[in-house]
Amino acid sequence: MIENNSSVVLQSEKVGILHYINMIRKFYKSILALSVAVSISIGYVAAQDSTSIASAAPAGGGDVAKGEGLFKNNCAQCHAVTAEVVVGPGLAGIEERRDYAWLKNWINNPMGVIGSGDKYANELYLKYNKTQMTAFAAFGDEEVKSILAYVKSASTPVATAPVAGAVATTPAETGGGTFINVILVALLVIMGLVLVALLGILQLLNRLSGADAGAADTSLSFGEKLQASFKNIAANKTVRSAIVWAFILLATKATFDGMYGIGVHQGYAPKQPIAFSHKLHAGEMKINCAYCHTGVYKGKQSGIPSANICMNCHNAIKRESPEIQKIYTAIETNKPIEWVRVHNLPDLAYFNHAQHTNVGGLECKNCHGEIEKMEVVQQRSSLTMGWCIDCHRKSEVNGKDNGYYAKLMEAHSAVSKGAMKVQDNGGLECAKCHY
Amino acid sequence: MKVSLKNISLALSIVTFSTVVLTSCSDNNSTGWEFAPNMYNSRAYEPLTQWRKNIINADGKDMRSPVAGTISRANYQTSFLQDDSTVVNDLMVYNLPKDSIAVAEVTLKNPIPWSDKAEEEGKVLYERNCLHCHGEKGAGDGAVGKVYKGVPNYASDAYKNMNDGHIFHVITYGKGRMWSHASQVNPEERWKIVHYVHRLQLGN
Repeated sequence: MIENNSSVVLQSEKVGILHYINMIRKFYKSILALSVAVSISIGYVAAQDSTSIASAAPAGGGDVAKGEGLFKNNCAQCHAVTAEVVVGPGLAGIEERRDYAWLKNWINNPMGVIGSGDKYANELYLKYNKTQMTAFAAFGDEEVKSILAYVKSASTPVATAPVAGAVATTPAETGGGTFINVILVALLVIMGLVLVALLGILQLLNRLSGADAGAADTSLSFGEKLQASFKNIAANKTVRSAIVWAFILLATKATFDGMYGIGVHQGYAPKQPIAFSHKLHAGEMKINCAYCHTGVYKGKQSGIPSANICMNCHNAIKRESPEIQKIYTAIETNKPIEWVRVHNLPDLAYFNHAQHTNVGGLECKNCHGEIEKMEVVQQRSSLTMGWCIDCHRKSEVNGKDNGYYAKLMEAHSAVSKGAMKVQDNGGLECAKCHY
Repeated sequence: MKVSLKNISLALSIVTFSTVVLTSCSDNNSTGWEFAPNMYNSRAYEPLTQWRKNIINADGKDMRSPVAGTISRANYQTSFLQDDSTVVNDLMVYNLPKDSIAVAEVTLKNPIPWSDKAEEEGKVLYERNCLHCHGEKGAGDGAVGKVYKGVPNYASDAYKNMNDGHIFHVITYGKGRMWSHASQVNPEERWKIVHYVHRLQLGN
């Protein structure tokens, strides 16, 4: 396009523009190369640092390796090798706090130590809300010693890091951040270049149109030019009638759409009393739908979870969040949370979840869409009769290993070659859903 | 050139106008027009739906709590044919208190005989109710478990020998940081999960 038009304008101008474009290209390439080089070098530095940390762990022999396996299998769920509290206390420096004999006793039978009236054990028990530690009765001296050796070796470099490893660790920790920064800066630069290129094209177009229209127009400002061209358009009869027709057609379509949409709640996404995110719970945390909607494979209704199900996790997770506090308030005041129902069939139609999920083997998303990506739940399907019937015409009955359907399948295959669809099983009978 | 520019601007204005017309009426917080609204918000009481205050019940809820002391009838299977063709009736009035896990370990035995099918059903139930904390292989590494913390590895030394009664009791009442899941899985389902947890204890 540019090439064609520029042949009209003076050759020198064309050369000038091409030169300009070439310069932009070169500049862009050099910036890109620079950013790639910088990002690679930062990645290299980060990688080097992480390897140096790994090798910096002090060598403790086979004991430490064995202890690491034991620790990760048995202890890591509740204890960290640092001073961080996970469920139980952090184990950094544990051997300075307690002697070996006590630790061995404790690991073998914590409740026994508490029962024997040991003061330290009882204080610990109370401090951690009477959470019982699992007894590891099978651990002998060898196991306990290797675990302690591992804890010591794993917690040491972290403790001394501020002194010895300060220079080495700092870039490693911020390496990811720098990398993102570099990418961001590079993106900004690229965006700037695109902007410059666009402005260049705009200028070029201006020049071209200026050459077309002649010198007279150049005295007019941009706003005046725009006004003049709008006047031109408005004065055109064809344009006017086209606009009128377009309006009539659109109004007709909008009317019909509106009439078809009566009673169809598709797209309904009401604000809920608690900003519960399915995207977080079902998507990122991968909690199965049936964990909270307990009735979905058993009953007509999938069910809305009662607050005790929320509490299975939120007794510990994010307790201080104002949204979670709403659940606590509901429990304390014994008032139900008034969720707004999203999917609501009119009473004239019967629908049963279990028949579709358990018997028919449909997945939740077949009808509800990608709930695991929704921050606020929205009704994705129309839930109209046509939508139901369409599926009943297409879907095959899954009668495999289902004795209830055995004779029916037999009878069907006697008269028909095709697979048994839901419609062959009365899926289109009025009274199946309307009664 | 000029004519085509005009056409483009005309087309653009039509598109903008039509999008505005078509989207301006939709509000995510409204269900839109309904034909016969009584069909959507029923005057009859419906489970899990209430759209106006109940004037008969004092607390304004349609739902009423059962009378104190009500015992729920088992709506699940309680009678299981054993491998030696005797029938075990697990008419369990499970009245062991929460702190009696040691009693549960000694007295309870899975009434559902092991079979591929029972374990497979247990697996499905495990995936629905346990996996997000306990992890696919029971290693305590589920997505929620990592945040919740303190989820054990079934195959670790302290857990790999936990028996039927122990696992059943833990699902019923919870243990340590885990809370009761009795409201979500009934005893029949718990026993099936027990079969699958035994599989995970093998750690492979």
